[in-house]
Amino acid sequence: MSRSANHLDRRGLAWGVVGVAVVIALTFIGSDRLVWFDAALVGYLFGVVFAVFGVAYRYAVWLRRPPTAMLNRRGWDAFRQRKARNVVALPSLVATHLLTQGFIRKRSRARWLAHQLVFWGCILAGLVTIPLTLGLLHFESVGQRADHYQVYISRVGTMKFDAESIVGWFMFHALDVAAVLVLAGVFIFLRRRLRDPGAMAVERSGDFLALAGLFAVSVSGLFLTVSSMWLEGRFYSALNTIHALTVILGLMYLPFGKLFHIFQRPGNLGVAYYKRANDQGAPAVCRRCGEPFASAQQIADLKEVLPQVGFDYSIEGGGNYQDTCPRCRRAHVTLAQSARVGGFG
Amino acid sequence: MRSGQFGIDDNPVFVIDQSRCIGCEACVQACAECGTHRGQSLIHLERVDRATTTQTAPMVCMHCEDPTCAQVCPADAIKQTEEGIVQSALKPRCIGCSNCVLACPFGVPKYVADFDQMMKCDMCTDRTSEGLTPMCASVCPSEALWYGTIEEFRDTRRGSLFRDFLFGRQQVRTKVYTVIDDALAGPIDALAGATTTWLDDPFGLDMEAPS
Repeated sequence: MSRSANHLDRRGLAWGVVGVAVVIALTFIGSDRLVWFDAALVGYLFGVVFAVFGVAYRYAVWLRRPPTAMLNRRGWDAFRQRKARNVVALPSLVATHLLTQGFIRKRSRARWLAHQLVFWGCILAGLVTIPLTLGLLHFESVGQRADHYQVYISRVGTMKFDAESIVGWFMFHALDVAAVLVLAGVFIFLRRRLRDPGAMAVERSGDFLALAGLFAVSVSGLFLTVSSMWLEGRFYSALNTIHALTVILGLMYLPFGKLFHIFQRPGNLGVAYYKRANDQGAPAVCRRCGEPFASAQQIADLKEVLPQVGFDYSIEGGGNYQDTCPRCRRAHVTLAQSARVGGFG
Repeated sequence: MRSGQFGIDDNPVFVIDQSRCIGCEACVQACAECGTHRGQSLIHLERVDRATTTQTAPMVCMHCEDPTCAQVCPADAIKQTEEGIVQSALKPRCIGCSNCVLACPFGVPKYVADFDQMMKCDMCTDRTSEGLTPMCASVCPSEALWYGTIEEFRDTRRGSLFRDFLFGRQQVRTKVYTVIDDALAGPIDALAGATTTWLDDPFGLDMEAPS
């Protein structure tokens, strides 16, 4: 086995392969044994397969980091502790923590608006393109009427619509709507990144790459509509290739770049359950001031994780420095430093 | 061309000498002006031992060489720059668990509930990257917070620059320096100062007289 193969995480590989198998099975079954699979979209399918493999692999590796593994375990423990109540609380948590993202609005309204525009634009685009790519979704004419269509999910016929109606317009322009939403968000983000000195100072290369990718996908997609509606299809083939390339590269970037936070963020729900469970448990009491300062469970979890990541905060003669509250830690450092310069003043 | 006070070869260092703090809170106000976290003051300034002394002390991020906060972050949201600056949590990644707040040996990171994320001092990256002094050090009248070159420190200040700490059995080296008189006595043991108070030896006589 080569050296690089030795460095691959076997569990990550296994989860990646499982993810790919699920996508392929879904495509085969969902498209009615490939009857409704659009061969022109095979490049996009490759992109989806790669993205699923990469995301599953990285997610599995991420979950094995000691603090992540601990939080993952504790989050699920907390969820199961009061399952009925936690299931009831789930929609509200999803709405506030994942969909409406009020925590971003408190940082900055412009930032929140930009994130919401990009978020909903991407959700809309994903809801349309992924089922189309996998052959799960297709349209058929209703009888002999060329202006009426029916939406099919796999073999099952669902809603019918008039192509000339508002619904019809939205059906055929959903991706244009998504592109406009994403572009509006990208421009707000770009304005901030180019004009805010604070944002510029902590800039990471991935910040611009993600925005550039979203911009390229949206603009090249809009050009397809421009070509078909106003240019009588001129340059369509070249534009189509460019758009496909941007989308496929974007999908391949998902597991590696900044956009991986889309898959990490739901961990926030586990944290919410963990915190709620901890609030009801015993508090940790500071070994110096005797005041409660955190949950005993979280401190115990940290004391278990720290040696796994190479730290030993145990105290000779018994006890652990981690049982000190943050305020007393600062006092400890200050008193120790001042003692080494002959006291205060 | 130098855009700030320090050029690329100057290699300035941040120094914190808590014993010189006079509690004026200028640093607290200045910190909130930092471009990377405008409106949020991330420096700590508090009375150390209210029962025995009126002394106050500031605490900034010490920027550990091997940061505990980053190692216990389940979201891998805390990154270190090539210059050794431990940055505030990446906003898209931080899931607000407070592991870093509770694990930092210096008690530095803050969990900001409104934003559901951790925030901490990043040594005014927006300023230091342009050769400027961090906000807090630029306004500190007693030079408890100080920013400059090591040569400048030696020329103008007394004491030795030091950056090794001991927390229980864990030794921690930081990018930020502190000041001590006895550099040969080994790392600053955070728990060593806990057994005595300022009033036990107000003039430092016991320290000077070997028992």
